[in-house]
Amino acid sequence: MATEVLWWIFAVAIVVTSAGVVLSGSVIHSAIWLILSLAGIGAMYLFLTVEFLALVQFLIYGGAVTVLILLALMLTRMGAGGKPDRVTGGQAPFAALVGAGLFVVLFGVVIGTDWGDVPDAPSNIPIEAISDVLFREFGAPFVIASVLLLVALVGAIILARQEEGD
Amino acid sequence: MSSLPFADPIFGIPSWLDIIVRVIVAALVLTVIVIYATYGERKLLGRFQQRLGPMKTGPWGLWQGVADAVKLVGKEDIRPNNADRWVFEFAPYLTFIPIFVTLVTLPVAQEWGIRNLSLGLFFVFAVMGLNIVGIVMAGLGSGNKYALLGGVRAAAQMISYEIPLVISLLSVTMVAGTLDLNLIAAMQSLSPDEGQHAPFIALQPLAFLIFFTAMLSELHRAPFDIPVAESEVVGGYFVEYSGIRWSMFQLAEYASLFAWAIFGSVVFLGGWAVPGPDTFNLGSWWGPDWAWHAAFTIVKALLWFVVIVWIRATVPRLRIDQLMNFCWKVLLPLSLVQFLMTGFAVVYEWPEWVMAITSAAGAAVLIAIIIRRALRKPKNTLVGSYRRAQVPVQ
Repeated sequence: MATEVLWWIFAVAIVVTSAGVVLSGSVIHSAIWLILSLAGIGAMYLFLTVEFLALVQFLIYGGAVTVLILLALMLTRMGAGGKPDRVTGGQAPFAALVGAGLFVVLFGVVIGTDWGDVPDAPSNIPIEAISDVLFREFGAPFVIASVLLLVALVGAIILARQEEGD
Repeated sequence: MSSLPFADPIFGIPSWLDIIVRVIVAALVLTVIVIYATYGERKLLGRFQQRLGPMKTGPWGLWQGVADAVKLVGKEDIRPNNADRWVFEFAPYLTFIPIFVTLVTLPVAQEWGIRNLSLGLFFVFAVMGLNIVGIVMAGLGSGNKYALLGGVRAAAQMISYEIPLVISLLSVTMVAGTLDLNLIAAMQSLSPDEGQHAPFIALQPLAFLIFFTAMLSELHRAPFDIPVAESEVVGGYFVEYSGIRWSMFQLAEYASLFAWAIFGSVVFLGGWAVPGPDTFNLGSWWGPDWAWHAAFTIVKALLWFVVIVWIRATVPRLRIDQLMNFCWKVLLPLSLVQFLMTGFAVVYEWPEWVMAITSAAGAAVLIAIIIRRALRKPKNTLVGSYRRAQVPVQ
């Protein structure tokens, strides 16, 4: 019962903070709303008793990704107080079209999917089970994903060095 | 090994009330610790610099921290005109809350703590990392270029040093086979029983050194204090804060110092574990078990604190390029070496002394690199030519 109440509180909070990302006037405020929204999703994972996923959400999205966004924002050209340029007339109709189209597609998929009942929803998965699956059953995809990340890292370094003129 | 949960609800009260009581007690204890940590640091720094430190307020200046706290609460809370209002006002809370949340799972004694989490070690650094957000917000929201510079420096530094920090912790967890902080502390008791190890500082000195260095950087303590360097960015990301909000940052700094100290002493020094075999039971000799456990943890955490202050008083501040080079070119490769060595030792079940010796060799390499870098003559940089210009003419 208490969990359900908390779940609804966080559900409302996620919707409100997500609306804040879209509606706030400055990019920095959007980024901060995004942090709160992602942290709310992490809390949702806690209610679903998948603690590991919740902590990964906090670490990767709350800590790293949003700080990356904030750092990228610092490098963009902003007026005083973080006020961005408004979307100018030429772009606005296309932005509205893309936004509305994405909304229709997502809404249609959500309505159209038969969610059904999941009788054996996973709960309280021990970390050992996760690591067994990750490193034994899906070992090869894991290694390939890490190679992909390594390539991205090396590529980023090469690009940065070229800009420096080395 | 069976799980070691913290004590059942105290005084038989319902569990929701129990957790509230525990959180309040932790918050109060933390405040007192922070007040006396500032006092202790000033005293220690004074001794390192051959002066007495605070002496006037109360006997040996013992009330100095309390007086400072009262002064800070009464101070005017100034918000700059061009600050981004809500970002500015919430940044101190977002800096402090993650650190307070990590206290949930730190085991002070076998049965003392708020809740024992099976993912405790992961929980601590996942949540502790969130306070970057508050620091960056403070930098962005203050409407001050120095604060912005401090925030950018802090973010770059903390994200970079988090990588070797986490890899060195991974090496420990590979040997421990668990992320439960209480179990990690329990297995470092030097006893010859099954599943018991020497403290991980002896087993993996390289991982310990990397963890300690990266932790100093996460805390913005000297020699990694460029985000808050007075002579470069005035005060760093909290330059515009005053009064109670400034003291929130101060609280966050010292609270994270102690959280890291307890965390580090649990992971590497054995935390509350009493060294020696199980039969060597201090509780049966004198006093309750939990008091001995808590005493061991507190002594280790205080040792940690003294070493941190000692380093602050001894080592000069690094330049930003030295700082980044040290992280990415020295700490990260060495932490990967430690990771690989531990992996081989665990998979092929090599005896533990092999792990200890290889890791000690790695630690020696790290110390040699640090000494070499410290003694290296500056290249033909502005610093170098400046130094040459200072050589007295005959």
